[in-house]
Amino acid sequence: MTSDTTPLWEFADISKAYPGVLANDKVCIKLMKGSIHGLLGENGCGKSTMIKTLSGVQQPDSGRILYNGKAVQISDPLAARDLGIATVFQEFSIVPTLSVGENIFLGNMPRSRLGAIDWRKVNSESARVLKEMDVNIHPEAITGDLSVGEQQLVEIAKAVAMDASMIILDEPTAALGEEEIEQLHQLLRNMRRRGTAILYVSHRLDEVERIVDEVTILRGGRVVSAAGETEINVSEIVSAMVGGDVGEHYPKENNATDDVVLRASGLRTKAGVSDATFDLRKGEVLGLGGVLGSGRTEIARALFGVDTLTEGSVELGGSPVKFRNEMDAIKAGMALVPENRKTDGLFFNFRASGNITAASLAEISKLGILDLLTEADGTERLIDELEISAQAEAKTVNFLSGGNQQKIVIARWLFADAQVLILDEPTQGIDIGAKIAVYKLMNTLTRAGKSIILISSDHDELLAMSDRVAVVQHGAIKKIVAAKELSHDDLVRASADNIEHVSKEQLAS
Amino acid sequence: MKRIFDAQLIGPFAAMVIVTLIVAMTTDRFLNPGNLSNLFLQVSIVALIAIGATVVIFAAGIDLSSGSMVALLTMILAQMLKFMGLPLIFALPLILVVGALLGLGLGLITAYGRIPSFITTLAALIAFRGLALTFNNGSPIFSLDPGLEPIFYGKLAGIPLPFFYLLTFYGLAAFTMNFTKLGREIYAVGGNPAAAVLTGINVRKVQAITFAIAGFMTAVGAVLMSARLNSGSPNYGQTLELQAIAAAVVGGASLAGGRGNILATFMGAMTIVIVQNGLNLNAAPSSVQNIVLGLIILLAVGIDMWRAELSSLLSSVFGKSASVKGG
Repeated sequence: MTSDTTPLWEFADISKAYPGVLANDKVCIKLMKGSIHGLLGENGCGKSTMIKTLSGVQQPDSGRILYNGKAVQISDPLAARDLGIATVFQEFSIVPTLSVGENIFLGNMPRSRLGAIDWRKVNSESARVLKEMDVNIHPEAITGDLSVGEQQLVEIAKAVAMDASMIILDEPTAALGEEEIEQLHQLLRNMRRRGTAILYVSHRLDEVERIVDEVTILRGGRVVSAAGETEINVSEIVSAMVGGDVGEHYPKENNATDDVVLRASGLRTKAGVSDATFDLRKGEVLGLGGVLGSGRTEIARALFGVDTLTEGSVELGGSPVKFRNEMDAIKAGMALVPENRKTDGLFFNFRASGNITAASLAEISKLGILDLLTEADGTERLIDELEISAQAEAKTVNFLSGGNQQKIVIARWLFADAQVLILDEPTQGIDIGAKIAVYKLMNTLTRAGKSIILISSDHDELLAMSDRVAVVQHGAIKKIVAAKELSHDDLVRASADNIEHVSKEQLAS
Repeated sequence: MKRIFDAQLIGPFAAMVIVTLIVAMTTDRFLNPGNLSNLFLQVSIVALIAIGATVVIFAAGIDLSSGSMVALLTMILAQMLKFMGLPLIFALPLILVVGALLGLGLGLITAYGRIPSFITTLAALIAFRGLALTFNNGSPIFSLDPGLEPIFYGKLAGIPLPFFYLLTFYGLAAFTMNFTKLGREIYAVGGNPAAAVLTGINVRKVQAITFAIAGFMTAVGAVLMSARLNSGSPNYGQTLELQAIAAAVVGGASLAGGRGNILATFMGAMTIVIVQNGLNLNAAPSSVQNIVLGLIILLAVGIDMWRAELSSLLSSVFGKSASVKGG
């Protein structure tokens, strides 16, 4: 029946409308056996809608789905599973309180003849899958205790365990460090060799370039470039995604001066910072490079007073400071833009104004009464200046795109006039246009004499947007070099050195 | 003013109006002036306590202690007036302070002891009732002070005094929630405590303050309860905490915190009391009243949860077609 030219899965003319929006307009995608297919586009282009349709979460309004050339219906997620479709969603669907093995076989537990769960099989099968994936996680470990990266691998192990013929990965590397990404890619290559069709959705175009065989690009709910029409390189993809020339991808301005704003010496915390010494200059962007779990976030926490210093000292503006908590740090002019803006950054019950002034309530109030005019003026000015959506003040911020949300979190610290900003993965999960806007915002900040500590797992971004890069390993800063003198490979190698469980082979591939 | 009277009031207001219309149509005695002013007296205690309950809910907490605290405070007030001979003018402010301190205590245990407020106030619900029974061998204390009853039954320009208490305290609460730093911080803490910490808001302090406010408002309710019956009793205030929470919920406050309008809580309380009043006037047994109250709560939360579906249903009924637009 099937030949090499019959796609394993064919999605033809899939349309889906939500109230007010036609999210997918006659989208066609063909997935071939043993091929990694990139599905790309800016936020709101209809990718998520497509993924929901493919995984049976929702039904398309029209269109045909063919499996091996035969029409099928993916009526619900269970049907998707029976058809061999596994989806790894951006938001994890693992249960943190269950063991790794239980998660891998969730909803599909091997049973003994009496109908009881066959625990021995759960654990042995899980161990087999994890071994096959070359992942060093114990099947009986509690999933919630694992690192985010490891949890992501468990998520993928679920797909491997069900022997999926098609696996959909939605932003699979958002939470992963470089070596884990490489490990994942190796895994995907293995699956490809075995004939699995893989749909790979990611904002990290450098990664896409490395791993995918063909791309489909969506814009405004339509396919603007079908497989084979666009060459797989970053600039071609970007212009297809945004529908024109975006100009400079990394519009870096050099605003660094020689004045030291912040000096950290020999920082050590119980949370895993072992030896961090560096200085930060006025107008500078200092990048913290390193693999996930190397201690970058922990250094940020130590600076911000979240974790107590057991050793070392911090000087801010020439005088020693000791922060007992976040409140002290904020009063002194520090700011932390957290990695996860949804859980740690935004107030979804507020509009733009409430979010922007949240860190400055004392400054905009007299005798405890808020000056709402100052708030409104400041908000309006920042919405204008940062080109935040005009809708931002009309509705609560949950209605805004990720890019607009991130701008609002950063606007909060502009309003508060913070002098040192720690940006933890500031462009994670936002589209290319919004990323460039965030980069420009970083320029605005440094131009105004503010200093930035940038934590990013996107090495291209880290190298392009930092003035200097500090390489972090095991909670210690190993060296600090000018970003210009560092290449992507240097950074990977420097930060991955000494990590025992990564074989040289994986790094080289 | 736009801030206070926002869209969140429309639903609870509509509910109140609909309920009023239904009761007025089915019961001819509902609209006579005596009944209406009685309505204000009836709603006053629960509506005042509901202010505190709502503020706690805004900060993503829950206060189950108020019913028992009312009993305890009426007993302490009775003790002060009847057996210690304290003048009313001293006893009243004192009892308000005691209420605020009890609330603050619960708030401190919750915020700094990191015990969920459901647990701390559940413990208080049980313990306060027990504590109330230790006064006067567990018997009610009657005829406290001749000056007490007018606090509840008195009138100013022909209008019952509780109307003015409601006006004052709801006015203050609306001002606090909408125009002050504290109000904004309460919404922020309820909306996203992790983000509040990272923006330099003293989350624990704010949480503790909400419980102190709840304690204070419970004390106000307790004073009115004592005044209404010129007595103190360890049996007062049974299920009052649940009625106060119900008023907040019917008023649209989200139990997840961060969302709601304090004035809507008053409408929620009115809705509940009007239904009870209607059933009373029709001589419905209290069992039926409780069943109806339960259904109202379910309906109010249900409408809130299904809002998206209901509005898309409405728009499809009225034939608004989906416009074609790229996301």
